[in-house]
Amino acid sequence: MNIGIGGAGSKLASISSDAECAIVNVSELELSKVDAKQKILAVTHSARGQLRGSGKNPKIGKEAFTSISEKLKQLIKGNILFTSTGGGTGNGISTEILYHLSKLEEAVKLEDKTMLCLILPYLNRESYEYVENTIEFLGGPVSSAIDSGNTGNIVLFSNKLKFEGRIPEHSFNKMIADSLNSFLAIPVKGEMYKLLDGHIDFEDFDLYKSKPYFNHFTQFNWNPDQPFEEQLKANFNSLILFPERTIEAMFLIELPTADKISKFYDILDYFSVDNVTPMYGIVHNPELKEPQITVSLLYSRKPRELVEDFKKVSDQYTRNRIKKSLDQHVVLQSHKLDKMNEARRMVEENGNNAGDVLGFLKRVGKL
Amino acid sequence: MNDLFEEQASLLKEPHFFVLYWTAKAEEKGIKYNITNVFDDLKYIGATRTKQSAVSFVDSLYSLCFVGISGDGNRKNLYITKHGAKALEYLISNTNYKPKKSLFLEGSK
Repeated sequence: MNIGIGGAGSKLASISSDAECAIVNVSELELSKVDAKQKILAVTHSARGQLRGSGKNPKIGKEAFTSISEKLKQLIKGNILFTSTGGGTGNGISTEILYHLSKLEEAVKLEDKTMLCLILPYLNRESYEYVENTIEFLGGPVSSAIDSGNTGNIVLFSNKLKFEGRIPEHSFNKMIADSLNSFLAIPVKGEMYKLLDGHIDFEDFDLYKSKPYFNHFTQFNWNPDQPFEEQLKANFNSLILFPERTIEAMFLIELPTADKISKFYDILDYFSVDNVTPMYGIVHNPELKEPQITVSLLYSRKPRELVEDFKKVSDQYTRNRIKKSLDQHVVLQSHKLDKMNEARRMVEENGNNAGDVLGFLKRVGKL
Repeated sequence: MNDLFEEQASLLKEPHFFVLYWTAKAEEKGIKYNITNVFDDLKYIGATRTKQSAVSFVDSLYSLCFVGISGDGNRKNLYITKHGAKALEYLISNTNYKPKKSLFLEGSK
């Protein structure tokens, strides 16, 4: 089941798979905008939150979590959670969920682990508050949850491509959904098509998915005669943040024919440099014309380092704001008004025109 | 005669100019203007602090026949003569004296 929290998370969860979907929001209006089998209203005491969502204020989401905490704690078990890191509801409620996970005394069972799909704001285009909320979210709850080992894979989707490619929101969400589905389909294809080598079954896949690392997955047409490293670097998934050094990996190769099977050993060699032994499967997919590979790389990156990237941009933004306000600062000269002198000046300017008196003297015949 | 007039007028100081100006202004407004008023106004603009000097300014203008003094008991009112009018015109045209407000004539609203 997909669980979408907040506006962005709900939209993404609702189109990400055919599976059942539950969405959570603080505003009924926001809930009504998305099709979902289960709609959960989190109660907030703020009228603004009830009517218009929590905007960019995670505090509203955090307060609202209390009303649905038990339900949500059960619901997330073994499911995929979608949320944006910048908004109010998604950030606020997810913060509480992650803190709950990180404080659990007993480790979460593998089958109950929650895979997190986080949507990060694009630093150069989205509002400053989104960036600030993201810094807090990554540095606090995400960091704690990773340390506790109680989450599954974390996928860091970025809005960068959306803004740079000027892609409409719905189409962009569809791209994310398709990309995620290509990863989730790995064990399905392993079962569906004729196996040529290796094997990834559902249990292997669930185990892989339950590891508390960042996951970068991508799918591209594989050329067996070209070095794998080149192909991988050219085909990193632009919807997800680029990976760091790989810890674990998985790949599924789909071949239109059963030829050139042995070429996949080159891929194993590539990963062995980093002492990584990937899970893999090679299947025969007669629907394809070209060989296709789906690769997933698990990597560890301290959220603190991620936060640093955001902080750099945030600091730059703050510096720009300060500079702008300094540029706009104008020193106003103080103007002291001496009423008596001012009155005299006015009289001299307006009232006491010597010419008037001479005119009078002429009229009365004295001049 | 013209030479004498110009010489007399050119010797007039700024307070003389104010007295001539205010006297003409009072006449224009139809207000009686006496030597006490002259003293108050000269004191107000900072030209003098003593009544004697105010009297001496008026006296000299009277001696030169630039102002006239008419009865009204103890309160002698001033009026500007034809010579005084010419002297005022001369001072306006040939000096940098600028008229100032008379507190008595125009109030200090």
